[in-house]
Order: sequence, then structure tokens, then C-alpha cells
Amino acid sequence: MKLLMFALAFWLGASLFNSWLAARFSHRRWAQLFVPALFGVTLLVLWEGVVAGFAISPVILPAPSAIVARFAQSTALLWGDFAQTILKGALAGYLLGCGAAIVTAIVIDRSPFLQRGLMPVGNFVAALPIVGIAPILVMWFGFDWQSKAAVVVLMVFFPVLVNMVAGLKATDHLQRDLMKTYSASYRDTLFKLRLPAAMPFLFNGLKIATTLALIGAIVAEFFGSPTRGMGFRISTAVGQLDMPLVWSEIAVAALAGSGFFGAMALLERLVTFWHPSQRAR
Amino acid sequence: MKKFLIGAALAALTAGSASAEEVKLQLKWVTQAQFAGYYVAQEKGFYDEEGLEVTIMPGGPDISPTQVMAGGGADVTVDWMPSALAAREKGLDLVNIAQPFKSSGMMLTCLKETGIKGPEDFKGKTLGVWFGGNEYPFLSWMATLGIPTDGSEGGVTVLKQGFNVDPLLQKQAACISTMTYNEYWQVIDAGLAPEDLVTFKYEDEGVATLEDGLYVMGDKLADPAFKAKMVKFVRASMKGWKYAEANPDEAAGIVLENDESGAQTETHQKRMMGEIAKLTAGSQGALDPADYERTVKILLGGGSDPVISKAPEGAYTLEITDEALK
Amino acid sequence: MTPRILSARRRLWPRSGTARRAAAESLRRPIGSGGKGMRNLGPILTVVAAILVIWYGAAVKMNAKWVYDQAARAGAEVSTSQLLRETMAQERPVLPAPHQVAKGLWQGVAGQKITSKRSLVFHGWVTLSATLAGFALGAAAGLLLAIGIVHSRAMDMSVMPWAIASQTIPILAIAPMVIVVLASLGIKGLLPKAIIAAYLSFFPVLVGMVKGLRAPDAMQLDLMRTYNANRAETFWKLRLPSSMPYLFASLKVGIAAALVGTIVAELPAGATQGLGARLLSGSYYGQTIQIWAALFAAATLAAGLVVAVGAIERVVLRKMGMAA
Repeated sequence: MKLLMFALAFWLGASLFNSWLAARFSHRRWAQLFVPALFGVTLLVLWEGVVAGFAISPVILPAPSAIVARFAQSTALLWGDFAQTILKGALAGYLLGCGAAIVTAIVIDRSPFLQRGLMPVGNFVAALPIVGIAPILVMWFGFDWQSKAAVVVLMVFFPVLVNMVAGLKATDHLQRDLMKTYSASYRDTLFKLRLPAAMPFLFNGLKIATTLALIGAIVAEFFGSPTRGMGFRISTAVGQLDMPLVWSEIAVAALAGSGFFGAMALLERLVTFWHPSQRAR
Repeated sequence: MKKFLIGAALAALTAGSASAEEVKLQLKWVTQAQFAGYYVAQEKGFYDEEGLEVTIMPGGPDISPTQVMAGGGADVTVDWMPSALAAREKGLDLVNIAQPFKSSGMMLTCLKETGIKGPEDFKGKTLGVWFGGNEYPFLSWMATLGIPTDGSEGGVTVLKQGFNVDPLLQKQAACISTMTYNEYWQVIDAGLAPEDLVTFKYEDEGVATLEDGLYVMGDKLADPAFKAKMVKFVRASMKGWKYAEANPDEAAGIVLENDESGAQTETHQKRMMGEIAKLTAGSQGALDPADYERTVKILLGGGSDPVISKAPEGAYTLEITDEALK
Repeated sequence: MTPRILSARRRLWPRSGTARRAAAESLRRPIGSGGKGMRNLGPILTVVAAILVIWYGAAVKMNAKWVYDQAARAGAEVSTSQLLRETMAQERPVLPAPHQVAKGLWQGVAGQKITSKRSLVFHGWVTLSATLAGFALGAAAGLLLAIGIVHSRAMDMSVMPWAIASQTIPILAIAPMVIVVLASLGIKGLLPKAIIAAYLSFFPVLVGMVKGLRAPDAMQLDLMRTYNANRAETFWKLRLPSSMPYLFASLKVGIAAALVGTIVAELPAGATQGLGARLLSGSYYGQTIQIWAALFAAATLAAGLVVAVGAIERVVLRKMGMAA
């Protein structure tokens, strides 16, 4: 119970401290890193306090300290799973799926007929729950990472396509007319006006796709896999009641996903520095 | 193992209100004839006669019965002994109170065209295995054969099989795990003839482990009221099992009525019930300590990486069945 | 990168936040032309026809292996016509032919009483009710968090990174755990599924709304300041209206996500009812036709939900005088 009291007190103190920091130093680089970090630490302290205070069975929810210990002793295993699931399955699928979506958007952009036909059908296919597709793709592409990449391709293709198609329309008449007065060709208009204008939309799609890719690759492993990979480990470790290992894998997934998302957000900032939403106000 | 406070508080709240005694049973898998005895006992009123109100909760591929027990989500669960003993070693006090299944239904089904004739031919082949607590019997068997399963030279490549038999039909694996009463028949139904297949039953290979026993949390057994409730539950359940054995078609029909997913077919369930009856025939519900010792010996003999590292103590009790089967 | 060309009329950037609507909207059509549906029908039918042709071809190709294997086991030869016939009518096809799926769908929807356990309508309803409950929870949470983040710097700095991190937790992995934990608290039935659906649907709403509430540019915000508007007035009169296109775009993503969340929750949760359970049992018994029928039922449900959100969007935007 003492630990729980301490956790609650810590939570209160940290929240107040965070508000004060955010109000005073919001434009300082260190504060921008420190504030979310402190928030995260607070969550962990609360978690530890709740597990200890309510005597929750470790089979239901292990304490963060137990997870950290398990993480530290099984880094080699975690790295192997990470390579199998993220580097092979998720990344390959992400690059293929997003690339194909961008190319498709530019191709159908010139054909209103194709757009009118493809977009509704595309939206319908995008609504297929991939969970159901995963076992089918395992049947088609085998048990290794290829089938996981295929699931990821399907998952990321449509969000990126829809955003890119919308982005290619995100120019005013005035801007397009101006290009016409410069007698710019289709290619010039595409590269100098419409692609840059589409970037905020594209990155919106790309950022959503990062988490989708991750979840897709992990979920697909539930439906058949070789004996390595994050999804495999999570589902088997639950059966073996090795909850700290399960949470270690989840931590790896969260870290990888945050890194992936962060990289995309950084790229977005570099490419679309001119967009109003990039100015924090 | 302390109880989760809030759960305990809620249980205390609900327990007082019910006139009939409530029992929550967690199955190991989805609703099918494998659990016919419990559904029959419910439909035929055997539980009512004992003054019990039983909630049967179907399992599924990602439901670990041991985890449900640890979370206090069920009073009693159907589980295989290897996974129960492994959980016991992890500190979860699971105790076997009854063993309706005498024999094991596990087998490995291989395509004849792969050239596999005996267990020595497994080397270098790809085998499909279930995980999530069901991998222990397979790993023990491979360990007794001395075949490595970690992908090293001269070993087998292990696939985490989904829940269906497609890997065999699509030739993605040379052999897959099947149960005599379920997946084997799915392979046959898919159009393969028995002579296209080579099968290895764990019973015949001498590596059979006990399946589908009833397990409860050890700390609850200290409570006489709970014990009395379990005696009634086991008695009614065994009555259900023996009824199902004698009337397999009716039992299959009862199972079908209880299948909420609407996915089961009558032919498949009837055949399953017939196969299940063979496995339950040798048991009146009481665990035979000799079977238990054999299971433990197989699990301990796992070479470098045994399923359990030391012989468990207090993993079963005969008190419930002694009382129930008087 | 060309310098951005300022448009004379100060439009909300980007005007085409609404452009997620059907592509046809943006095609400048003569006034008084036919309805959208009619104009899209031709292209859609063309695309669908093309897909069906490819599908049939793929079905023959993918199901052929089994026919040849079976023939080899029986020691028989396979003629082309026999191959075509047999690949179209397998019990457990690798890829069911379109007409097999259509038949499965028809039997599931109209072939029995809608209260029957074999009825897709019955299972669809189970899934839909949990989806809507979860979506309501998730959208409300996303909206409130977004408002907090736009107005409180501390929240922005601390919550946003973690909201993103929360989405990287593979929900299917924790779905069984969530269900088990909630069950041990005595929570069963629809709510656990709804919680998982909410978990997946709050994020798109949060991200879209943060972007939308920040959509007004400096000039518009300055204008509010010159009117001496306080934060609440700025929110109600400028930020909220300008965020509407973003809101609806993200609601569409959110409701589809909620459906996926529900289906995922139905897979392991031992929830033996719902489209997720149909998918699982179909997969388990190798009934590919049942899987595909359930998949299409789920996709139809999702498409219907997205269309419904779109209809609400059109009404709201028209009322606000923002319809493009």
C-alpha cells in the first residue's frame, strides 16, 4: 500500500511540475523531451504502484520492474524477433505498399474515369478487416516473412492512396491557372505545384501507415509463422504464462513504432515546412 | 497467489444473491464434441439436479485457460496436463481434480509422398505444431527421439501451425499436428484418402500425455464449500460424459445447438463424438496415478530443455473424485 | 520547391480537406448534370468487371495445384475442361470463385432466419452493436483529448507522444489479456469488445482534430484577436468550424478502425458470436468460402458505416455553409 500512496503522490507532483515546465519553457528543446519523458515515468510509477498495491497476479499484469528485468536478460531473443517481424515483414511491406499507392495515385490522377471506378471499389477493399485476410495470405505466400509483408502491403496501400489522391487535388484554381499562364506542361505542373501541395496529405497517410504496418506484421504472425518473430513470441509466451516476455515484446513494438512514426514526422517537417499546421501556436 | 481484490469483492457481491451455486467452466477450445459431456450435463439437467448453475465458456486459439484461471475468470478449467504442469512450475497453483479422458488423441499426420515412414525420417522435414501451451507434448517427443527443434543441423523445421489443416493440403509442411477426433478427419474430408497419409499416434509412440482434465486453483480447495461444489460438479459432469458415450448422436446434436458461431456441421460433430467416446471410455473420472507418473516422466525427459524441470508436488488430488464417484 | 502562391481569397487550408469525398466531387461538372451515383456507375462496373475477370483467372490458377495433386494420387490425367470445372467448385478452394462467395453470402444473409446462428445478419448485428459503442467511446475520447492538446501546452507536450506510442502496441496481442483482465473484474459481453474498438478509433480522431483545430492560419487567428475574442469564442467561432472537414475525414477512418477492433476482439475473446467469430471458425475448419463471405459482409458493413458518416458530413457542412 505504501508504494501505491507514493505512486499517487508522485503522479500529482509530476503533473504540476509538467504544467509549470510547459508554461515556462515550451520552446526549449530540453523541455520538449523532458516533459513527455516525465509523463511516461509517471505512468510507469503508477503502474508499479497499482500492481504492488492491489497485489495483482503477475500472470495478469506484471510489474514494470519485472518486465525491465526480463527485457535485459533476453535482448538477443528480442533482437531476432525484431529483425524477423519489423525489418523483414513490416518494412518490406511498407515500402512496397506505399510506393505502389503513390504511383497508383499519380497514374489514376490523369484518368477521371479510372478514379470514379477505382476509388469506391478501393474504399470497399480497404474496409476488409485484414485480420481475416491474414490466414488466407499465409496460405498463399507461405509461413515466412513474405506473407507478413503481403498483409502489410494490403494494410497500408489504401490509406496512402486515398490521401495522395486527395492531395493531388489540393490546389486552388488560381494556382493552377497561374501554371497555365506560364504555359507549364502537365509534368511541370505535377512536379512544381501539385506534388508539393500534396505532401501534407501524403505524409498524413504515411504516418497512419507506420502503425498499421507494425500491427499488420505482428498480427499476421498469429495465423502461422516460423518459430521466431514478435507475433509468434507474444502468442506463445501467453500460453507459457511468461507475461514479462510478452510485455517486453510489446515494449519493443512500441519503441519501434514510435521511432518509425518519429522518422516520418521529421521527414514531413523537412518537406512541408511551409504548411500552417507545422507552426505550433 | 493473492486474489485480485476487486474481483474478489465483486465475487463476494454476486455470490450472496444466487440461490443455485454458480460454477464457471472455461473450456480449452471452441464449442465442439470434445466437450460434449459438459454440454450434455447442462442440457439434460444433471447440473440442475445437483443445484448447480454452470456457465460454460468456450475457449479459442488465443485464450490460455491457465491465464483465465490466474485472473479469477473461471472456477474450473479443462486443460491438458503438460500445460497445467508448466503453469504450475511458473507459480500458478493448478490442481487436477478429475480426469474424464483416459487416452490421448494427439497424433502427427504426414503426407505419404514426402517419403516419411518412421520417426527417424523427420530430420530435415518441416513439421506443423500448435503453440500456446499445446507444444509441450510435441517438444517432449522430439526430445526423446533426440531430434533438435531449434532449426539446427539434422533437426526439424518447426512451423507455428494456424488452427487448420491447410499447411498439409498445400504441402507447406510434411506433417501437421492433428487430433484423432478432429483435424485428422478434416484432412480426410478435404479429399485425401487414409492411404495417402502416414500417421503417428502419441499413444502408439509411447509419448502420450494426459489431456482434457479438470483443474482448479489449489488455494480454493482449502474452502470446504468450494470442495463440496466441485464434488457435485464432477459427479454431474461424469454423468454427462457417460450419457454422451452411450448416446453419441444425441450428444453431437446438443453440442450443435450450443455452438453459437454456427460453424459446426452435423457429420463432423457426430464423427468427433464417436472418436471422443473412445478416449473417455477408460475413465470413470478419477485420475489414475500411474498415468500421471507417466506424463510427468515424459515431460521431465525433455533432454536439454525439459517442459518441467522437477517433479511437481500436489499437482493432483483424488479427494474430489473419491467423494463424487461413491 | 516553388514558393507557395498565395491565393487571393483566404480559404481554409486545404480546402480539400473534404476532398476525401468521392473523387467525382472535384471534377468540375457542368451545373445540372446527373447525380453522382449515376455518373460513377459506369466506371465502377468496369472496374468490378475487370476484377472479376482477374479473380476467375486467379481462382483457376491457384486451385489447379490441388486438382493435379488429387489426380496424381489417383493416378489419373486431367483435361482442361475438367480442370476448369473442378477449380470452380471445390469444397476448400485456396481462392473461392466469385460465384461461390456470392452464394455463401446469399445463404448467409437471405438463406435463413436472421435469428439463426448461421445467419450473417445475426453475426453482423452483434459486431455492429459493439462497433458503434466503441466508436462513440473512442471518438469522444479523441475529441476531448484533441481539445485539451490544442489548448494546454503541457498536455500537448506530454500526451501526444504517448498517444502515438499507444497505437504501436499490437492490440491483438493484448486483446486476449484485456478480455481476461476485464473478465476477472466481472466485465463481460459487449463492453470489452467496445473498449478495444475505442482504443483503435480514438487515435485517428485525435490526430485529425489536432490538425483541424490548428488549421486556422495566423491571419484568421489575428482577426479573432482584433475582435478581442477570448479562447472559448475563438474555439467555437473559428477553430471548431474550420476543423469540421478534418473531423469527418478522421471519423471515417475511425469508424472503420472501430469495426476492425471489434472483429479483432471477437477472434480470441471466445466471443462465439459476431463476424470475427465467423472468420475464425471458418479459418479453423478450412471453410474458405465461409471466410470470404464473412470478409465481404464485414467490408459491406464498414463501407455502409463510412457512407453513413459521409451523409452526416454533407448535412452538417451544408448547415454550416461550408459544403464545397
